[in-house]
Amino acid sequence: MSLIPQILRSLKNLPPFPMVAQRALMLVNKPELSIQELVEVIKFDPAITANVLRIANSAYFGLRREIHSLHQALLLLGTQELLKIIIASGATRLFANATPGYFSERHGLWRHSVSCGLMADLLARELTWAERATCFTAGLLHDIGKLVLSLFVDQKFAAIMEVVETQGKPFHRAEKEILGVDHAEIGGEMARIWDFPDRLRLVIRHHHLDCPESFSDNLVLLIHLADVLVLMFGQNLGREGLAYDGYPEVLKHFGLRERDLEKILLHFGCIWNDAQVFFGLIGSAHGLQCAHRG
Amino acid sequence: MDIVVGVADLKVSNRPEHVLVTHALGSCIGVAIYDPLARVGGMLHFMLPESSLDLSRAQENPYMFADTGVPRLFRECYSLGAQKQRLRVKVAGGSQLFGRPEHFQVGRRNYNVLIHGEDVGGNKARTLCLEIATGKTWVRTTDNQIYEL
Repeated sequence: MSLIPQILRSLKNLPPFPMVAQRALMLVNKPELSIQELVEVIKFDPAITANVLRIANSAYFGLRREIHSLHQALLLLGTQELLKIIIASGATRLFANATPGYFSERHGLWRHSVSCGLMADLLARELTWAERATCFTAGLLHDIGKLVLSLFVDQKFAAIMEVVETQGKPFHRAEKEILGVDHAEIGGEMARIWDFPDRLRLVIRHHHLDCPESFSDNLVLLIHLADVLVLMFGQNLGREGLAYDGYPEVLKHFGLRERDLEKILLHFGCIWNDAQVFFGLIGSAHGLQCAHRG
Repeated sequence: MDIVVGVADLKVSNRPEHVLVTHALGSCIGVAIYDPLARVGGMLHFMLPESSLDLSRAQENPYMFADTGVPRLFRECYSLGAQKQRLRVKVAGGSQLFGRPEHFQVGRRNYNVLIHGEDVGGNKARTLCLEIATGKTWVRTTDNQIYEL
């Protein structure tokens, strides 16, 4: 029996997307973003301001002097880096109450999402793309459909994995077969309800490259690649492990060879420890303590 | 007591209360070696097959690569009294994505640089554990299956 009616009902109770993150999202693609505009977004949110200062002062950025104010952080890090921190920080509120299902522990989805954001940012740098905050954001939010579907996946996990194992289907196809819908479709629907920019919605909807149109947008391909590289890296893997497709077309599209992938994984491994500060945004002490639990 | 081996990390022990654990191996590989007489064991979690990819990084952290990490693993265990002929070697990880076999090969290449393995490949994520008191080695997958190697 299809669970679609129940799943659609749960979309009706979707909480609002956190406001600060929403406002920051709208600024991501703005060509000439002023520092004042960014300050306006966060200045009334003390928790986010505190996070900005914490991350700006972490080993991840490796700045030599201590940053005490929002203005100083903006000047030293620039608007793109600041947007990343603001969006990640705003989005924690969404991920904080995620239920298990895809992951065996509570903050697994958050850590996978942050990892994809950081990997997408790293790929963008590798490919010399200017829109790094866009890439980070798309990586961070690509799996939001799992926030809604996790309860249903939890109930049907054994049945989904049986399809994966007996028919050799990737996880999201098996998910669709058993639940009637997959996390990318639900995520796309959430992005529509939350009024995300179109391009971000398309990344969320198509990140598993499930139809020919998915191959026509660079950003969709980049997030797909970031996602599979994060799976290969391991750490914070979901219960389904690496049961997804790897498409050689994507490598060809970006002109990447196997050795380039190894270099990217190596680079990711090197920033991994310093990036723990992003994981820690959610329930601070707990985040760091569990950073290595899969 | 669990001693966690991080990504690109190595731990050795001769204390019977220790269990060496490395979590969530994707295409990375966990190597556990154990000398049952000396009761000495070690575990390496490496990411990539060959240090020629980046020699300066390999110098900074030899545990990132199989070819620089594995010899260290053995040496560290010898220094605690393990002997080569008694060492048992067990390997887990090296998972692959679905798809055509000629791409995204890090997992397979990681495995191929080692001589033999017992639970590698496929597409599961694994946690590898080694109990120092007994040498018992087991794997836990993220869908909660546990089996001994």
